[in-house]
Amino acid sequence: MPPDWSTADRSTAELERFLTERADHLLRTAVLLTGSREAGEDLLQTAVERLLRRWHRFDGNPEAYLRRTLCNLATDGYRRAGRWRQKERLLRSSTLEAHDVTGEVDLRDALVRLLLQLPVRQRAVLVLRYWEQLSDSETAALLGCPEGSVKSAGSRGLARLRELAEDWNDAAALCGPEWKRS
Amino acid sequence: MNSDVEDLLREGMERFTADLRAPAGLVRQAIRRRRRRLALGSVTGAAAALTASGVALAAIAPGAPAAPGAGIGTTAYVVQRVSSALTAAQPGDVAQIAVTRSVTTGGKTVTTTAEEWSYGNRWRSVMYSSTGERVYDEGFSSSSVYTLVSYLTRTWAREPGLGRPAAPTIVPFLFGLRHKTLPLPASLGYGPGRLKGPVAVPRTCQPVISGIALLFQPGLPGIGLAAGPLTGIGFSAASLPAARALRNAISCGILTVAGHQSVAGIEAIELTSKAISPISETIWVTPHTYLPVRVVIRSAHGAPDLRQTADITWLQPTAQNLARLAVPVPAGFRKVSLPKVLLPMARKIGPSFLDSSRLPLLFGKPR
Repeated sequence: MPPDWSTADRSTAELERFLTERADHLLRTAVLLTGSREAGEDLLQTAVERLLRRWHRFDGNPEAYLRRTLCNLATDGYRRAGRWRQKERLLRSSTLEAHDVTGEVDLRDALVRLLLQLPVRQRAVLVLRYWEQLSDSETAALLGCPEGSVKSAGSRGLARLRELAEDWNDAAALCGPEWKRS
Repeated sequence: MNSDVEDLLREGMERFTADLRAPAGLVRQAIRRRRRRLALGSVTGAAAALTASGVALAAIAPGAPAAPGAGIGTTAYVVQRVSSALTAAQPGDVAQIAVTRSVTTGGKTVTTTAEEWSYGNRWRSVMYSSTGERVYDEGFSSSSVYTLVSYLTRTWAREPGLGRPAAPTIVPFLFGLRHKTLPLPASLGYGPGRLKGPVAVPRTCQPVISGIALLFQPGLPGIGLAAGPLTGIGFSAASLPAARALRNAISCGILTVAGHQSVAGIEAIELTSKAISPISETIWVTPHTYLPVRVVIRSAHGAPDLRQTADITWLQPTAQNLARLAVPVPAGFRKVSLPKVLLPMARKIGPSFLDSSRLPLLFGKPR
């Protein structure tokens, strides 16, 4: 039975136990939101710090809190910092380089790479919808925006990805079998 | 097609993150970072007060023994922490940098000093002569307005829209090692020529990094580097923040942990560059914050004798500290066009003033 995280007056050891179970998943969310391992770790670390600050009197679901903090940090805090977007581009390019080196290029990778190039709000929506598997309404609640905004952001993001998939298929038809479909 | 793309995206995200494992000790690290932040706030507050009262901040104790029990982490560990610290600090903290530069030629040493502040996109530098007189004061505001005040000619200019300085004072400076010749930074006193040097950089480090990163290089941040002598090596200051440059330098084995040394009363971790460049670099980072507190750049044996020390204090962005980023125009100074400030200064200071970072300013918008 999963532990009940919704009780107040918690010890730091409890937080450690919780993170032992869920930190990997949260890190993956953070990496998808930011585009690189380094930035993802930093994001998660910051979110954990924020949770820690209120942990002893925290009354709620820590995973939901951390997920919301990750999204908020990715979409608002870092963007406000200004320099983040430069770094983000860099991180994206380093991610690309890493993949290109291995030669492991297929449509799935390409979709993730394009995902990392989408505006951060669209990216957050797609990560929450397709990685965290939240519904539109849950995503809207987490991001603190109307459900309609989530739907339109998700739709625009998916449209970009579909364009890429179509281009990819066209290229595959043109270039032959070396263009791996999947 | 829709569901295809959605499924492929899910699979792609799974694959992209499959091998990711969260680092151990997230909570311990969070506790440490919180304590560090609280401690840094009080330390930097005290440092600002010392500066205001004219007390030198950078008291070096070279060769001081490491504190007993102060363990030296592995290079990778230290670098990772430094990198995270820089990434975390840049948007939130004001970097105050005191730069001392000594050039020895023909047995005569000339020492100049500069004070610099960097915060997000804002940046300011005040250059002093060897006799301690203010030579010029320049800076970028948050709205990309460049201001230059010449104390030599008692003139000043302000130019909007010159382009946001993409990197603050912490500008990593890369040398074009792939060409086996090394363009040397004019602001270090080198001319525009290139110095040949034996170079051995692991192939895996290229093209991500093609040389040694020099942090805290004085000069206009972000502007002009790509248009100056470094053109053609595929480097743009805008595309290489300090954290990444440092991370690359370490991962390529260019920086290694050398030990501990007392810097400004802090038992700092010393990172030194390997001898693969005509310029050596030593960076001291505090073991509490992993932020650089001192960077020393020296020319190698046989080159003109140069030594540049940058002492860094990380300040909280209080109103008082942010005020240091504004370039004041003294009463009685005449406003002229930017070239009319730059050119007379170049004549008085020497052509090196119009280095790669300033030359584009003569021609208007550099980007």
